Amino acid sequence: MLDVLRARADWIVGLALAVALAVLLIATGEEKALVIGTTTGSAYGMVALGLVLVYKSSGVFNFAQGEFGTVALYALYMLDFEVNYWLALLGAVVVAAMMGFLTERIVVRPLFEAPRVILLVATAGVALLAIGVQIWFGDAQGKPIAKGFDRVDRVKVFGVQVPDQQLWLIAMLAVLAIVLGLFFTRTNLGLAIVGASQEPTATELVGISVRRLSSFVWVVAAVLGAFAALIAVPNGGSFAPGIMTTSFLIPAFTAAVLGGMTSLPGAFLGGVLIGIVQSVATTAPLFEDIPGTKETLVVFVVLLVVLVIRPQGLLGKGSA
Amino acid sequence: MTAVTATEVSDEERGNSQMRPAGGGRFRPSPIGWLARAVIWAGVAYLVLVVPLGQSPTDVQQFTRGVCYAVVALSLNVMLGYVGQISLGHQAFVGVGAFTSAYMVTTQGQSFWMAVFVAAAVGGAQALVLGAVSLRIRGLYFALITLSYGLVAQDNIFEIQELTGGGAGQQAPKPQWFETEWRYYYLCLAFLAIVLYVDWRMMRTKSGRALLALRENPRVASTFGINVRLATLFAFVVSGVFAGLAGALIAHNDTQVSVDVWNFNLALVFVIMTVVGGLRSRWGLVIGGAFFALLPYLIEKIPGFDELLADIPWVPRVLTPEIAPLVIGPLLLLINLIQFPGGIGQQLRPITRWLGGHRFDIHDKGPKEVQITDVRA
Amino acid sequence: MSVLEANHVSIRFGGVQACREVSMAVGEFEIVGVIGPNGAGKTTLFNMITGFFAPDAGTIAYKGRDVTSMAVHDRAALGLGRTFQNVGLVKGATVAENLVTAQHLQADYGTVSGMLGSRPSIATERRLRAKADALAGVLGLGDLIDTQVQGLPYGTLKRVEIATVLATDPDVLLLDEPSSGMGPEEAHQLGDTLLDLRKTFGLSIVMIEHHVPLVVRVCDYVYCLDFGQLLTEGPPLDVRNHPQVVAAYLGEDPDPAAVALEHQLDSLVEGN
Repeated sequence: MLDVLRARADWIVGLALAVALAVLLIATGEEKALVIGTTTGSAYGMVALGLVLVYKSSGVFNFAQGEFGTVALYALYMLDFEVNYWLALLGAVVVAAMMGFLTERIVVRPLFEAPRVILLVATAGVALLAIGVQIWFGDAQGKPIAKGFDRVDRVKVFGVQVPDQQLWLIAMLAVLAIVLGLFFTRTNLGLAIVGASQEPTATELVGISVRRLSSFVWVVAAVLGAFAALIAVPNGGSFAPGIMTTSFLIPAFTAAVLGGMTSLPGAFLGGVLIGIVQSVATTAPLFEDIPGTKETLVVFVVLLVVLVIRPQGLLGKGSA
Repeated sequence: MTAVTATEVSDEERGNSQMRPAGGGRFRPSPIGWLARAVIWAGVAYLVLVVPLGQSPTDVQQFTRGVCYAVVALSLNVMLGYVGQISLGHQAFVGVGAFTSAYMVTTQGQSFWMAVFVAAAVGGAQALVLGAVSLRIRGLYFALITLSYGLVAQDNIFEIQELTGGGAGQQAPKPQWFETEWRYYYLCLAFLAIVLYVDWRMMRTKSGRALLALRENPRVASTFGINVRLATLFAFVVSGVFAGLAGALIAHNDTQVSVDVWNFNLALVFVIMTVVGGLRSRWGLVIGGAFFALLPYLIEKIPGFDELLADIPWVPRVLTPEIAPLVIGPLLLLINLIQFPGGIGQQLRPITRWLGGHRFDIHDKGPKEVQITDVRA
Repeated sequence: MSVLEANHVSIRFGGVQACREVSMAVGEFEIVGVIGPNGAGKTTLFNMITGFFAPDAGTIAYKGRDVTSMAVHDRAALGLGRTFQNVGLVKGATVAENLVTAQHLQADYGTVSGMLGSRPSIATERRLRAKADALAGVLGLGDLIDTQVQGLPYGTLKRVEIATVLATDPDVLLLDEPSSGMGPEEAHQLGDTLLDLRKTFGLSIVMIEHHVPLVVRVCDYVYCLDFGQLLTEGPPLDVRNHPQVVAAYLGEDPDPAAVALEHQLDSLVEGN
C-alpha cells in the first residue's frame, strides 16, 4: 500500500497542492484568478509535456518546442484563407509534426553524441530560424486569427464568465492527458519510449531502436506544442512571430522543472500551478511598483526559487 | 595498453612531440617567412584601419557596429567558451549597458568616459547579483534562468521610463573629439583591443586556467584548490562587464537607444555569432561578431540579391537586411554545429597560428575536443 | 601524532550502507594502503576524506583540525591532494598546462593584476612554468610536456596525474589505484617512485591499491575494507595473510548492489 502511494507521490503531492490552492483562492474570493489561471496553465502544461518527453528520450532542453506551436499558428492562418477551418486546423498540426520530425532528423540526430549544451544551442537555432522565417514570410506585426467558433459563448464557472473556447481547451487537455497516460502505460510503443528514456542500452538489447523512437517522440512533442498553441492563442484574437517562445516556453519549462523534468503528470500539474500563481501574483501588491507586465517576472521568480531551493523539482522524485 | 617507462616513448607520442617540439627545438620562421607574415599583417591592418577612411559615414557606422558585436562575442565566449555555461539573456546585459550609458550622458550630464565606466560596472553588477542568486544552478538550468532573465529585462527593466526614455528612446551623443563616425570607429577599435588584451592575459594567468579546468571537470578543478562557484561567478562578472561596455559603445554609435531592439531574437543572434565564430578562438570570435553585425550591410551591397529571391515562388518578399541575420544566422549555426563544430576560428587556425610565428600546419585543428560532463537531472 | 584521521565515519546512499564506522589514521611520512574487493567502499572513504561527500556520522581530522564539513578546495589548500580512479586531469590541455593549473594556489598575484598583465604576475607565471618543467622531469615526462593529455596511454596518464597532484604542493597524497593500467614492471617502478617522492617531498601517502606486491613493498600499514566495514588493519604482511582477508578476496562475491553503487558514485564524482 505504502509503495503504491510512493510510486504515485508526484501525482498526490501535485493534486494536493492544486486542490489546496483552489480552496484557498475560492475562500479568498479570487475565483477569477483560479479559472483564468487554470486555462492558461493547462496550455503551459501541454507545452511542458512536450519538453519532458523530449528530455526523457534525448536529454535535450528543446528550445524549439514553443516554435512548433507558432509555426502551426502560421499554417492555420495561411490555410484558413484556402480551406475549411477544421481542415486548416488539421493541416496546421501536420505542419508542426513535420517540423518536429525534420528537427530530429536534421539537427538532433547528427548531434547525438555532442554535449547537451551544444544541442541546446542547436534547438535555440531552430527556434530562431522559425521566427526569422515567420517574419520573412509574414511580417513582424501581430495578425488576427480566427477562433474555432464564430460566436463566443460565455459560460459561468464559479460565477466567472469564461469563453467557451477556454472550456474546450481544458476538456481537450483532460482527454489528451488520459490518452497520453494510457499510451505510456498500456501500449507497446509508449512503454518502449519510457523504457528508452530510462535504460537506453537495455532497450536496444531487447531489439527496440532508441533512435527510431526518438523521431517519434519529437513528432509527438511537436503535435502537443501545436495543440497548445492552436487552442490557447486564438483566445487572444491575434498572434505575432515567436509568440509561443516569448510567452509560453519559459512558463512551460518552469512547469517541467517543477515536475523534476522527468514526470509527465508533474509537468502538467506544474503548468496549471504556474498559470494560477501567475494570474494571482500579477495583481499582488508586492509587484505593484514594478513597471510593465508582470507575467514573465512571476515566472522568473518561481523558476529561480524552485531551482535554488529544490533543484529536483517540487513534484520530482527525491534523487533526480 | 603498452607499457611505457620513463625513457621509452611510444611511436605515437614521438610523432606528437615532433609536431609540437618541446623547449629547445622551437620553430623559428626564416627571414622570408617573417616577411611573408609581415605582408599579411600589413594587409589586415590596411583593411581594418585604412579602408574605412574612404567609406561613407553610414557605412562606417556599420563597421563600428561590427567592432561592438565583436566585443559582445568575446563577452559571451567567457561564459560559453571558457566556463561552458550558456547565457541566453545576454541582450539584457548589453541593453542595460546601452541605456545606462545613454542615461548617464543625457539625463545625468556625465562625460562619455564616466558613462562607459558606469555601464560596464552595471553590467558586472547585474551578473554578480544574478550569478550570486543562481550560483548553484549550472548547465541547462542556467540557460533557462538567463533566458528568463532576458525576458524580464524586456518586460520590466526596459519599462523604466527614467532609464530608457520611454517610447522615444534615450539620446546617446558621441563624445567630444570623437563626433565623426571615423574617429568613433577608431575609439571602438581601441576598446576592442583592450578587451582582447584583457582576455588574452586572463587566459594566460590563474583565473583563466581555472575556468578551463572547471569547464571540463569541476571536481578535478576543486582538488586543484579552485573554488568552482567563485570562479564561475567571476567569469560571469567579467562577461557582464564586457557586455555592458559593448552596450555603451553601441548606444553612442547609434546616438539613440530604443527599447524594442533588445529582444529574445537578438539574444539568440549573439549566441549564434559566438558559436559560429568559434569558442575560445579570439580571431574567430571577432570575425563572427563582425560578420553578423555586417550581414545586413553585406546583403545590401551584393548587387541583385533582392531580385535573386524575388522570383522564387512561395517566397512572398525579399529577404530584407533586417531579417537576414535571423534566417541566415541559424542556418549557418546548424551547418556549423554539424559540420565544423570549431567554428570559423578552427578553420582559420592554421593561418592564425602561422601569422603568430608558428609553422604552417594545415591539419592543426587545435586541442582535441574532450567529452564534457553535462548536468543532467 | 597522525596527520590524517577518520573517526567512525559512516555514510549511506539509499538502501546501501557504503561505509560503516570506518576509522583510520595516517602518521607523518607514512605510506598507508587501503585494500578490499570492489564495492567495499574504498573510494567512498576517499571522497569523504577529500570532501566530495559529507559523512552521515563521524569526523575527519587533518593536522589536528576538524575538516568534516570543509569544502574540497579548502582542504586542497591545506595540503590534501588526491588522484582519481579514472584519471583526474584536464584532458583538453597539455601536460604543462595541467601542471601549471594545479599550482593555482601558489600563483600569488591578484586576479585583476593578472588580467592586466602586471610585471609580478608575469614573473610568477614564469616560476610556475619552471616548477612544472621540474616536476615533469621528476616523473620522466619531460618529452611529453607540450603534448595534449587526451590520447596519452593510460599508464602515462597515471604518472601525469601524480605529477599534477604534486604540483598542488600537498602534505598528504591520496592515490586512487595509482598502478591501474600499468604492467608489473611499471608497477614495480611506481613503487620506487612513491618511496622517492616521500623522501624528496616529505609526504604522507594513502593509496587504494589492488596490486598486492606493490602494497606489501611500499606500505607501512594497511587497512582492509569489506562491505563498507573495516575488516582488519595492521602491517602489510599480517593483513595479507589474515584469513578473513583471504576469504574476502577469494571467497564469496561482493554484494552486486554495492558494486553498482560504487561505480555510480565514482562516475558521479569523476564525471566520466
